[in-house]
Amino acid sequence: MKTDLLVIGGGAAGIAAALEASAQGLEVLLLERDTQLGGILNQCIHNGFGLHVFKEELTGPEYAERFIHMFHDKDIAYKLNTTVLDIRKEDAGFVVSASSLQEGWLELECRAIMLASGCYERTRGQIQLPGDRPKGVMPAGSAQRYLNMDGYLVGKDVFILGSGDIGLIMARRMKLEGANVHGVAEIMPHSNGLTRNIVQCLHDYDIPLFLSHTVTDIRGKDRLEGVTIQQVDENWKPISGTDKHFSVDTLLLSVGLVPDTMVFESLDIAMHPVTKGAVVDQHYQTSIPGIFACGNALHVHDLVDYVTEESRRAGRAAARYVKGLSVRQKRLALNSGANIHYTLPQYIDTADFNGVISCMFRVTKKAEQGEFVIRQGDRIIQRKKARFLAPAEMEQLDLDQTMLSDHETPLTLDFEVIRP
Amino acid sequence: MYDFIIIGGGVTGALIARTLSRYQVKVCLLEKESDIGNHATLANSAIIHAGFDPEPGTLKARLGVRGNAMYETLHKELHVPLLRTGAYVVARHEDDVAILNALYERALKNGVEGAKLLSGEQARKLEPALHRNSVKVLDLPSTKVTYPWEVALSALENAVSNGVEYRLEAEVVGIVRTDKVYAVTLANGHALKSKAIINAAGAFADKVAGMIETHVPYKITPRRGEYLVLDKSVRGFVERVLYPVPTEKGKGVLVVPQVHGNILLGPTSEFQDSPSAVTNHQADLSMIRQAASTLAEAIPFDKVIRTFAGVRATSSAKDFYIRQSLEHRGFYHVAGIDSPGLTAAPAIAEYVVETLIKQDYDLESNPDFNPYGMQYPHFHEASLAKKRQMIAENPAFGNIVCKCERVTEAEVLMHIHRPCGGHSVKAIKKRARAGSGLCQGGYCEGTVVKLLARELKQPLETIDYYRKDTPILMAETKVKR
Ligand SMILES: Cc1cc2nc3c(=O)[nH]c(=O)nc-3n(C[C@H](O)[C@H](O)[C@H](O)COP(=O)(O)OP(=O)(O)OC[C@H]3O[C@@H](n4cnc5c(N)ncnc54)[C@H](O)[C@@H]3O)c2cc1C
Ligand SMILES: Cc1cc2nc3c(=O)[nH]c(=O)nc-3n(C[C@H](O)[C@H](O)[C@H](O)COP(=O)(O)OP(=O)(O)OC[C@H]3O[C@@H](n4cnc5c(N)ncnc54)[C@H](O)[C@@H]3O)c2cc1C
Repeated sequence: MKTDLLVIGGGAAGIAAALEASAQGLEVLLLERDTQLGGILNQCIHNGFGLHVFKEELTGPEYAERFIHMFHDKDIAYKLNTTVLDIRKEDAGFVVSASSLQEGWLELECRAIMLASGCYERTRGQIQLPGDRPKGVMPAGSAQRYLNMDGYLVGKDVFILGSGDIGLIMARRMKLEGANVHGVAEIMPHSNGLTRNIVQCLHDYDIPLFLSHTVTDIRGKDRLEGVTIQQVDENWKPISGTDKHFSVDTLLLSVGLVPDTMVFESLDIAMHPVTKGAVVDQHYQTSIPGIFACGNALHVHDLVDYVTEESRRAGRAAARYVKGLSVRQKRLALNSGANIHYTLPQYIDTADFNGVISCMFRVTKKAEQGEFVIRQGDRIIQRKKARFLAPAEMEQLDLDQTMLSDHETPLTLDFEVIRP
Repeated sequence: MYDFIIIGGGVTGALIARTLSRYQVKVCLLEKESDIGNHATLANSAIIHAGFDPEPGTLKARLGVRGNAMYETLHKELHVPLLRTGAYVVARHEDDVAILNALYERALKNGVEGAKLLSGEQARKLEPALHRNSVKVLDLPSTKVTYPWEVALSALENAVSNGVEYRLEAEVVGIVRTDKVYAVTLANGHALKSKAIINAAGAFADKVAGMIETHVPYKITPRRGEYLVLDKSVRGFVERVLYPVPTEKGKGVLVVPQVHGNILLGPTSEFQDSPSAVTNHQADLSMIRQAASTLAEAIPFDKVIRTFAGVRATSSAKDFYIRQSLEHRGFYHVAGIDSPGLTAAPAIAEYVVETLIKQDYDLESNPDFNPYGMQYPHFHEASLAKKRQMIAENPAFGNIVCKCERVTEAEVLMHIHRPCGGHSVKAIKKRARAGSGLCQGGYCEGTVVKLLARELKQPLETIDYYRKDTPILMAETKVKR
């Protein structure tokens, strides 16, 4: 039997997309490699999920549970312990190869694919940290999983590199478990985490944050014995004489998340150099028609609520595609202009554009006040003032179709700083 | 009482053990680490060099060229992976051309097969990533790439299946000879006796020699080489090994395609005091990026997934130092085995056993010697039909543990329980490749820890990352979900 939509990944994104596509009448099959649904939410036992979607503050597992309930209520087909390994394009759709603990090797036919495989954590090797390579240096999310899922601490004296949200959350979490958290170093002059996490996870526990600092040495033959941090100049070069040493047994890295697009390996899908996910239009459709992506597999989100909203839109779009309602004719670029890190979507499908597009984007620098401006050629077609902007926080702007002057001239989004 | 004790479980010691197991002798290999091959054999460029640069007539030239050819047999018998890449030695300025021409002559003298000179333009047609400044190129089609660590492992495992004993965490700290018998003391206090000793202790060989020789005929000055590893998604960026024209300091920074699809950039070359320190230095890593960029165009540095370093056993003898002690009969030095030591290893083993040892000892063939090593399947590389069959026979093949390298639970279990099995996270990483990919174990490390604990019937918090007493999980918490 051919499935209409095959969803890869059963986290917040995959579940929301599957629910929405199924509500539109599609035959959906969701595959999840883990032993349970919910994805990364299962290990995020802290509060702060659901403020937008449910208007209340939930823990990660609670947020996941609500969606898993809805998912089971709709009787959507799914398989756990099933890892997708490859996708092949065939005339009338795709064949997905997956390996399952219960069913063995699977070759599954489908009309459309939703990639919702989440993200992985950048490692020590990727940022090329110098020094020894003892045990005790690990991504913060791995430590979080060991602690919250398995019930084990990975160390007792901890330093954290990178002020991403996972690092901040883990600083507090390890402290509460009795570990001594010596500090957090961030190479940028500003934090990469949400402001609320800086306050609630570091300030409230007197954990020092060293901005414009990075780890420049790691010592320890077999087990980590210590790290050295140094201040960096505006070119990220360590400044000599600013060394600080910490005797720690654990260095947690919270130095970025990267969309997991491994199953795209054998396909020729256009990838975005900044998001590291696929390039998509407003339907979350990649450069291969019929393949969609959403959630952290597309670009890294800080709030699960945005993942849910985005994935619902993606699920609806996939349903329109399967029903033959979307005809891709013209892709108009939405470019990242001044002070914009990236936009999403990067293209607008003008043949199938009715109503409003939710554009998501990140700024490249902190500002107290500024204005977002979308231009088409010289013409300003949309503007929005905003306050307290930071690269760590995703921004959103609705683009109204009626404002477009034509379907030829590419759009550019700029961020004009009013007060830094 | 052993006939031979081999000190050192790198590729040299392991292949000597295997060669000795062709005869009816009692052999024990001693390795100080908790797993074999964790020094130079783990951290090198993995190239089976053609033999173009050692001076003709030296052991490095002779054993290098012979060793290169012997890898074809090792591939058949021990199933060691072999990527027949070929290589280009690249002259990037007019000044390099004279040296390149001389290397070509040397390659011919050393008996390197198929060596020829190409113009930069010709070479760039076949290797488009080659730097556009390349003037002239020495083509060395017999160059290959292997997975060095697996060469050592499969050689030792084959030796063990043919009767050799081995001990891990067995550091030799003293050697005395009385009445023609060597007594070897280990750090843990144990003592072993043997008629003969083979010193294959890599960068530590002079220290081991110093335990018995009043005059050690060579001094080892450890020389560190650092590397960057590119993710396997860059497969095909180059097909061949790229070398710059060598200098005084060695072969220089290379671009090396690996058997698993990754690309290595490096090594650097820095003398250091320690034979074991494998620290990465910011300056070395920057130097690699810069030097590699003069060999190839547009290297995808954003695909770096790891850094590492290895230590070469560079000796004052210049050539390999392979001979019997002048003071102590039956004590064999196999020392100064720096590059091309991996290439030469099978030929070194042959030379040590068939030429040196046979001069002094009568060796009787072992009629039961089986040259064939065990074959461990790679699920991911199997055909669709084969995959289905493997899962049908063993459902654990259906459970993907490492998503990046596509390693299944069945493979992890196999590598825990094989005769030279791995019992730490890193030992499994080296055998099964779980954790060697893009996410560097982010997905699978926890699963590997759990599988090890289950299979070894040990508590989770005793599963080590690598050496003794390096557990990943330090303390159980009160809250359990
Ligand atoms: C540590 C951490 C803390 C966070 N804290 C907060 C917070 O406080 N508040 C908030 O609102 N948001 C928070 N977020 C953000 C939000 O929770 C996540 O962005 C969101 O849950 C991601 O959902 P997802 O479905 O895209 O990815 P995931 O939840 O990662 O789901 C992806 C799923 O795909 C599966 N998968 C991957 N590859 C395959 C394959 N090949 N085959 C089959 N299955 C596959 C994975 O097993 C996984 O279950 C946090 C995120 C993290 C990582
Ligand atoms: C950076 C670098 C790049 C290289 N590139 C190449 C290449 O591309 N091609 C090539 O042909 N060669 C290359 N080489 C050389 C090659 O790697 C080595 O020659 C080869 O691995 C040496 O193997 P070995 O067994 O002699 O030494 P090792 O692998 O170092 O093994 C020696 C072993 O002895 C053990 N030991 C030491 N002391 C004691 C003791 N007291 N008791 C018990 N055990 C002890 C050690 O723990 C170690 O495991 C390179 C080397 C380096 C470092």
